[in-house]
Amino acid sequence: MQHEAAIREPLILGHRTYHDITNDIVGPIENKPAKGWFVLITISSLIAVYGIGCILYLISNGIGSWGLNKTVDWAWDITNFVWWVGIGHAGTLISAVLLLFRQRWRMAVNRSAEAMTIFAVIMAALFPVLHMGRVWMAYWVLPLPNQFGSLWVNFNSPLLWDVFAISTYFSVSVVFWYIGLIPDFATIRDRVVKPWQKKFYSVLAFGWTGNAKAWTRFEEVSLVLAGIATPLVFSVHSVVSFDFATSVVPGWHTTIFPPYFVSGAVFSGFAMVQTLLLIMRKVMKLEAYVTIKHIEYMNIVIIVTGSIVGVAYITELFISWYGGVEYESYAFINRATGPYWWSYWAMMTCNVISPQVFWVRSLRRNLTFTFFMSIIVNIGMWFERFVIIVTSLHRDYMPSAWTMFHPTWVDAGLFIGTLGIFSTLYLLFARYFPVLALNEVKSILKTSGESYKKEAEQQHHH
Amino acid sequence: MPSTKRYWQDLAQLDPSAEVVSRNANEFNAPLPIDQVLGDSTITGASTGRRDFLKFLGFSLSAATLAACETPVIKSIPYVTKPEDITPGVANWYASTYFDGDDFASVLVKTREGRPIMIKGNPRFGINRDPNLVNTSSINARINSSVVTLYDSERLQGPHKAGAASDWATADKAIAEGLAAAVASGKRAVLLSNTIISPSSKAAIAALSTKLGGKLEHVQYDTVSQAALTNANAKSFGQRMFPDYDLTQADVLVGIDADFLGGWGNATEYAWQYTSRRRPETVSAVRPMSRHWQFESRMSITGANADERIALKPSRLPLVALALYDAVAKGSGAAGTGAGSIDEHTDHAIQKCAEELLKAKGKSIVFSGSSDEGVQTVINGINALLGNYGTTIDVVNGTSFKQGDDAAVAQLVKDMNAGTVGALLIVGVNPAYSLPNAADFKEGLKKTALTVSFSGYADETASLCGWMVPDNHWLESWNDYSPKPGHYTTAQPTIRPLFDTRQWQESLLRWSGSTVNYHNFIQDNWRATMPTVAFTEVWNKGLHDGVHQAFTPVRTASAFAGDINAAAASARKSAEGAGAFELQLYTKDSIGNGLHANNPWLQEMPDPLTKVTWDNYVLMAPSDLLTTVGKKTFNDLYIGEQSPAYLLKVTVNGLTLELPAVPAPGMAPGAVAIALGYGRGENGERVGRAACLRNEDGTHAPVGKNAYVFSHWANGHLNYGAASATVEFTGNMYPLALTQTQMTDMDRHSVVKQTTFATWSEHKPHETYNHRHMLAVHADVNEDGVIDARDKVPTTEVDLWAEHPVAQVGHRWGMSIDLNGCIGCGACITACSIENNVPVVGKDEVRRSRDMHWLRLDRYYSSDMTHEKGKAEGKGKIERYLDMEVPSAQPKVVFMPVMCQHCNHAPCETVCPVAATTHSNEGLNQMAYNRCIGTRYCANNCPYKVRRFNWFNYVTEKFGQVNPAWDELGRMVLNPDVVVRSRGVIEKCSLCVQEIQATKLKAKKEGRPVRDGEVDCACESACGTGAIVFGDLNDPDSRISKLVKAERTYHALEEIGVQPNISYMAKVRNVEETEHHHA
Repeated sequence: MQHEAAIREPLILGHRTYHDITNDIVGPIENKPAKGWFVLITISSLIAVYGIGCILYLISNGIGSWGLNKTVDWAWDITNFVWWVGIGHAGTLISAVLLLFRQRWRMAVNRSAEAMTIFAVIMAALFPVLHMGRVWMAYWVLPLPNQFGSLWVNFNSPLLWDVFAISTYFSVSVVFWYIGLIPDFATIRDRVVKPWQKKFYSVLAFGWTGNAKAWTRFEEVSLVLAGIATPLVFSVHSVVSFDFATSVVPGWHTTIFPPYFVSGAVFSGFAMVQTLLLIMRKVMKLEAYVTIKHIEYMNIVIIVTGSIVGVAYITELFISWYGGVEYESYAFINRATGPYWWSYWAMMTCNVISPQVFWVRSLRRNLTFTFFMSIIVNIGMWFERFVIIVTSLHRDYMPSAWTMFHPTWVDAGLFIGTLGIFSTLYLLFARYFPVLALNEVKSILKTSGESYKKEAEQQHHH
Repeated sequence: MPSTKRYWQDLAQLDPSAEVVSRNANEFNAPLPIDQVLGDSTITGASTGRRDFLKFLGFSLSAATLAACETPVIKSIPYVTKPEDITPGVANWYASTYFDGDDFASVLVKTREGRPIMIKGNPRFGINRDPNLVNTSSINARINSSVVTLYDSERLQGPHKAGAASDWATADKAIAEGLAAAVASGKRAVLLSNTIISPSSKAAIAALSTKLGGKLEHVQYDTVSQAALTNANAKSFGQRMFPDYDLTQADVLVGIDADFLGGWGNATEYAWQYTSRRRPETVSAVRPMSRHWQFESRMSITGANADERIALKPSRLPLVALALYDAVAKGSGAAGTGAGSIDEHTDHAIQKCAEELLKAKGKSIVFSGSSDEGVQTVINGINALLGNYGTTIDVVNGTSFKQGDDAAVAQLVKDMNAGTVGALLIVGVNPAYSLPNAADFKEGLKKTALTVSFSGYADETASLCGWMVPDNHWLESWNDYSPKPGHYTTAQPTIRPLFDTRQWQESLLRWSGSTVNYHNFIQDNWRATMPTVAFTEVWNKGLHDGVHQAFTPVRTASAFAGDINAAAASARKSAEGAGAFELQLYTKDSIGNGLHANNPWLQEMPDPLTKVTWDNYVLMAPSDLLTTVGKKTFNDLYIGEQSPAYLLKVTVNGLTLELPAVPAPGMAPGAVAIALGYGRGENGERVGRAACLRNEDGTHAPVGKNAYVFSHWANGHLNYGAASATVEFTGNMYPLALTQTQMTDMDRHSVVKQTTFATWSEHKPHETYNHRHMLAVHADVNEDGVIDARDKVPTTEVDLWAEHPVAQVGHRWGMSIDLNGCIGCGACITACSIENNVPVVGKDEVRRSRDMHWLRLDRYYSSDMTHEKGKAEGKGKIERYLDMEVPSAQPKVVFMPVMCQHCNHAPCETVCPVAATTHSNEGLNQMAYNRCIGTRYCANNCPYKVRRFNWFNYVTEKFGQVNPAWDELGRMVLNPDVVVRSRGVIEKCSLCVQEIQATKLKAKKEGRPVRDGEVDCACESACGTGAIVFGDLNDPDSRISKLVKAERTYHALEEIGVQPNISYMAKVRNVEETEHHHA
């Protein structure tokens, strides 16, 4: 058996047996949910219904229901899209990259992070579809054979690259997530007694037998998928950034965008994982598995990626000055001092300054503070996209075309609505799916469990 | 139907007894054993029962019934006998003439399948065209967009008596009797009209008058009067008329409060004359580039084009006339009027202006728009001293314009109230709306026994008249005009009257007892007045060309006989009594005097300077406005979607209007200006689509406020100003819809390039005013042996992309836009909208910056701050940029028409995911609307921001009031060659690709190449100053091929490398100082 250094903090607290773990994770699925769950799902589904109403309103009336205009042709729609895609980055990073790096702490967080990823990507994908003037023609972005003659998509367009990037990312994430779920579904299948539950989970368990061969293949598939998914972590947001980087718009046309967007995405993704996990940990009493150490690890990722983002912001500013291009220079001065200065400074404060407080150990191990910071980071990252999109567009080359963008209630309704839909899906996940990768957690129990570590230490001393 | 599964081929099979077989051998063996068969229990046991039979019967019956239903009838009926001159799909053009009392133009009317859909200037004949230009003729937005009012469903559809529908026979009888009764009672019978320049209309009036024993008086009333000028001419030269100006011969032009390129005089003629002397390339020693001085209060488009512009309060302008007279008199050795000093700056300017005028004796014009006869007499004096009469001004062979007689109008209103008017016929004017004493007029109408209105609408005046006998729309009418001696033009109907209307001239003929129709009457009149051997030929040719030049008058000099001292005294008097704020009323380039307020295209056409649509407002100097509303920085005056305008209360002589304020750089401090022509239909009159819009609660609200209430009678003349006005902030805000909210060009020299004539004369464009953007490359370009930052090539030579194969192969369409030729009139905007079915979206959508214009007219004011200046002053970039957003108090102006630039490396094309926008092999950037899914990425990536998105379906009731495409009748104005775009797609300028294709097809059928100037791009043909030239860049002999090689030519935002096919020519101002290039 692998040994872990004693000074490493245990990843499973207290004395837990394999059975305890199964009980802790599967228990909530078998039992009636707590009142809190009902309250939350009521609120979130009401918001979701409102959001769907807004979507229907938008589709029936036209994009004019938003506050866009002849100069600012994208605003909240693409801001929300990029924001949600960004959030969807943490899941795959945790499950794939950390798997490859053999980071054991990922076991406790990867399941819910992946769920978050999938739901976030669904929310993200809504926006590019809904922002189309003729949403009913959305399938035209797919290179499908058609009756229009030789009509084909434009492979030069970054929007098309988006289509491929997002759909690939989504499908790989779903497969990866599902493969990981199979042993856990099997565990649930073997425990539940109600017929419909039995049926439901046995279908999901995909005939899992749990023999050694199955486990070997499971490990191999996970590794292969991790290998496939890892480049996607970097490619998806790079491609999303191409929407801007390949354009001629001052403030968009920037080669730094791909790495800057990827780190921003990881930054916001981890913040969202924190937000969700901190609630779930409390509500579902997972304190033994999602420990302060886990939170701290993720906060460290936030400092690192936040700092990368900060460096990117400053580099952009420097280049806009150093490049000496009139329009570029103005675009950045306008961001900081123009009519949207408040959004720029909101972004700077939330994304560059605030994460630096995590250098203080006590703060990054403080749950309340972490929760607060995770919200701040997500606000900051929303503003980042707003700043990039709106402040670049509203004053570009031709001063005659300069305008201001003012959102409408439909803009806001769609954003809030996606938060509602997202929360609803997440709550359903928390209710019916194992929120921790219980079989994987079991695999580290003997090495990283608190009681076992103590035992090992005592044996060592003897 | 369930099967019984019992089959037999014959009865023998069913009952195989020999008897049956043998019986069957006998073909006609009767009877058949039907009973036996039917009685077979196995058959009655079949599950296809009686009910099934009924079901099938019922189904068949209903299916048959449904099939018999009528399919929708599509009324596309082919011509049984094809009219000789109509081929479906091929446009017919008819020469005609537009005149509405103010605007005059010889025009061509485009009809499709019998519907007039487009109006452009007549490029071959008429006084409104530059004979040296190809395919263009000068008209304005009011003229070309007047086609839509033909299809206005709010037009009167037949004669009305006291508001109730009547018929022509009743009307004719009643009115003829009424007229006779009025004359018999000894009361006045008056025809009140706008200026009539039609000889045959005058003859028709004379015919009716003859019938009434010569008792019918004709009073002409110009809604915006120039009577002070015509009366001054009467005194100065013994002839009451509006002079014929010739700007082509003028080296120096001085406008004193005269917007001669916009709303003053015959601007369609002056516009091309003016620009013919403004192109530096055509300058010679004998024909230098003209110098243009403008003294005015409000920045007009004329002032915006001036080389030297001095802004003064209205009360100072008469003093300018006097001072200029004195300065010119001094130089000519004549006596002065003893004019005093105005202020140091103005005195100096007047002195300098006078010097230039004196140098250009006989080759200058001084214009004045004053409503004071004295001022106009002084101006006449100046022109006389300069010897301009007979060279640049002709008062012997003057024009027929502006015959309005204010005194007669005033007398008429008095007499109406005194009860001495028995009959009043009103045509072409709307005195109940536009007179300062409209209330008196309305009161007088009640005291007049017979009141007849010929108005096409139940407007403010017509709705109060006893009879409304609607006139035809001008596109349904015959007419002739004579704007100048010897110059005759014709107007011909291009469609049968849509409604039960009748030309007013014809009505007069009916009432005079004549049965001849007006068409024949015009011919008879021509026969009588223009005796010629070949009348039919003259008439037919005149009708075909739209113009008949009977003779060309020789420019004649006249001696000035005015009393300068008396005039000076009057002028001085008119300058008195100034309050803190002085009000000036003006007419907008879009709406004019209010006649056109019902035209949605004009309402949505932004004002060339303020860029405001759909409203009138108070223009104020920004500094005055800040003080009035108690704000500090210019940014506080920003008007945009969520930043409404300050609502001010303007009070003149106890009358008050609440209007939003628009900060107007170039406005003289202390002056305020309000546009006339708004606030139509205040009392719920239906004055036509778009003049008066329906609110959400169903009530109608006029667009803007009627500012005619502030006009007044002064010294017997209508006066459009007030010496003393109070302006207060109401504390409320009012939303205004602007198409451009940023005022300055932010010192961006690759957007607009400007220089001075002196610099231009040095002919070093690329080093001075038209420098190219360079990029350092990694190659030893300058061959100095090292590769360093000095190795630069023009950005246009650096390219990531493969070339489109458009050079030297087939056509390559392009356009050249001369910023010196563009006077900012905006005729191109409406022409483009008309040709391309560009939707009108209404104020609320424009306010959200969603105007759909494919062609916009950018206006940039200069700022006091430039990078160069800021650097010299040591100002940081942030501060510099903030300062640059603020225009100068008295800025220079540049107008820049911007449409799709048809880039050869179009950024929009690469980003469209579905390839809905692509490049043609003729260099056009094309839009496939059907393929567009509306991601709007192209619009974001367009550096020129010319792409427009259909935010909504504009052909819905929501936009029905403003969008002609909504209602059945209005839709008839749409160009059938251009699709009406649906919701959710991007649209933009196509360079009128439908016209390009049609022209190519025509040339192909005739087996010849496309001729230069043959393609009828809407904006080009609407641009009478020739600023817009369209053509084939691959044709080495085309105008455009030569223009793109000109030194002034540049591509906007050249350094981005998008390689547009549209090029601009730098603006050159004829000012003396040279401009130094700054890197």
